[in-house]
Order: sequence, then structure tokens, then C-alpha cells
Amino acid sequence: MGSFFPSLGGMTTNENTVPVSEPLAAEQSPRLEWAKHAPEVWKAMLRLEKAAAQGLDPKLSELVKIRASQLNHCAFCLDMHTKDALAAGESVERIVQLAAWEESRHFYTEKELAAIELTEAVTVLTDGFVPDEVYGRAAAHFGEAELAQLISAIAVINTWNRFGVTCRLTPGHYRPGQYA
Amino acid sequence: MTATGTAAPATARSTHLDGAVRSAMRAVSAAAGRGLGDAALAELVQIRASQLNHCAFCLHLHLGIARQEGVDERRLDLLAAWEEAGDVFDARERAAPALTEAVTVLTEGFVPDAVYEEAAGHFDADGLAHLLALVAAVNGWNRLMAARRIPPGSADW
Repeated sequence: MGSFFPSLGGMTTNENTVPVSEPLAAEQSPRLEWAKHAPEVWKAMLRLEKAAAQGLDPKLSELVKIRASQLNHCAFCLDMHTKDALAAGESVERIVQLAAWEESRHFYTEKELAAIELTEAVTVLTDGFVPDEVYGRAAAHFGEAELAQLISAIAVINTWNRFGVTCRLTPGHYRPGQYA
Repeated sequence: MTATGTAAPATARSTHLDGAVRSAMRAVSAAAGRGLGDAALAELVQIRASQLNHCAFCLHLHLGIARQEGVDERRLDLLAAWEEAGDVFDARERAAPALTEAVTVLTEGFVPDAVYEEAAGHFDADGLAHLLALVAAVNGWNRLMAARRIPPGSADW
């Protein structure tokens, strides 16, 4: 594994195709390259990420990570997980509708909807507790071990989001598989 | 209400964490705590995040550790109102919970420059990275424990 931060290789903006003719706003530098300053934490986080992914469908995992990253406003994580979702075979339509999933239920399975709803309840913890009906719907669709992994995946993306937002990590440069 | 006047216990949610997840979470928090190198401050920020996230298990755990570490009761009592607590907390001890709060309530916005810069003025880059890691990790723990409604003091999770 290389540096946490990919080499920019002389690029001055992100490598995504941007269909505008006017110049783009300037790219911001991260506040803190935290992984370089806390390498033991970084290694443990990678181990945690792998452990929490065991037994979960990759496409479901990415929907959960995208939704949590939307709620937490993590630009870096959105760049990463939308690209990972596409690489896992997810459709653009389902990624686009995810922020309004309650009015787009027919894009998703009941199991996915239960996972997304649980993701929201577990992510907005400062507003209250995880309602029994939300937990119950997830428990109806996921077996006990799978539910534990789902909750773990939600907790872990919430942890990553806090690194990404606080350090203002720069989105746009992620390539799927980069940290694998 | 029951005859004794106590509420019925909340519905149990039995979901045990995978051992590899538990072990890796512990490794993250342990590495963050070692890097910060200030056990009392580590407990204060973990308590503050657990208050905001309403995690009973984590509050019980970290208040217990803080007392073992000899953190003064008055500081524990006033932590939730640290901004109005006069000289109970010094500037460094105020910068840390301020950052903790901003990092914890992400759904309401970003971490303000003023809050980040104040913390960066009291911690070097290594210290700040580990402080952030501790707060990020306890936010993970809060979610693992509160979502599954693990009772305070439980050893079965």
C-alpha cells in the first residue's frame, strides 16, 4: 500500500469529465493528512474495514456507505463509494435516487430499504435513538450475524466520514481498489 | 407503570458483534489513545461524544474509566456545559470538546474553521490526528452499542 493520498501526478483538477466550458473553482488542500500522523490508527482502520465487510453483499454495503456519507456530508467518501458502487455493478439510477429513497422505493428491494432506513437512524444518533420499528424491519430481513455486520458497516463508515470531513480530504481522485 | 413505579425494560436487541470487528475497533481506539498520550483528556472527549450520541453503554464505561484515572468529579459533572464552566477547563481542554462536538454532529454541517484552528493551536499534527481518531472511533462505538441497545455495564455484546 502506498500513501494514503494518491499522487496527483501534475493534475490540477480532478480527473472526472466535467462538461462545462468555464474554469472550475480551485481545489482545496486537505487540512491534515491524518494517516501520516497516525499510521497505527490507519492500519487498524483498514483491518476494521475488512472485518466489517465480511458477509455483506458489496452492492448493499456501498448503498449504505453512500447514504451515510450523504448525511454526514463527506465529499471524499462520496467520491470513493459512488465509484466503488459503480465498480461493483451498481446502476447510476439507484445511486442518484438514493438521497430520495423514501420516494423511490421501487428502485430498491425491501431488504435494501430496511438497511438504508437503519443506516439513517444509526447515523443521526444525535437526534435520538434508533426506533424499534426501524430496528425490527432490519431484523426481519437480516439474520443475526448479517445484521451485526450491517450495523458494524454503518458504524465504520460513520467513523471514516469523521476523518474525511474533519481533515477536509479532497474528493475526485479516488480509483476503485486503491486501498484494497 | 408497574407496581414498583419503574418503567418496563426496553426491548432487548440481541446482536453480537463479530469478533474480528470487536478486535479491530479496540485496536483503533487503543492506537488513538496511545498516540494522544493524555488519558484524562481521552476520557473527557469520549464522554462528551457519548453524551451527544446518547450511548448509555459508552457513558457508563468512560465515566468509570475517568474516575479510575482520577478525573475530578466536578469536571465530569460540568463537561456537558464546558462552555459555561468558567475555569474548570483550560484552553486546551476546551478546544478538545469543541472539536469533539463539531466532529460528532456532522449531519448538521461541516467542522468550522474556527473550531479546527483552535484545536490545531493546542495540539501538534500528531496529537490532533490521534485526538480526531479517538473521537471518530468513539462515534463508531456509540453506534455499535446504542443501535443494539447494549445495557450499561453489560459484558455480553
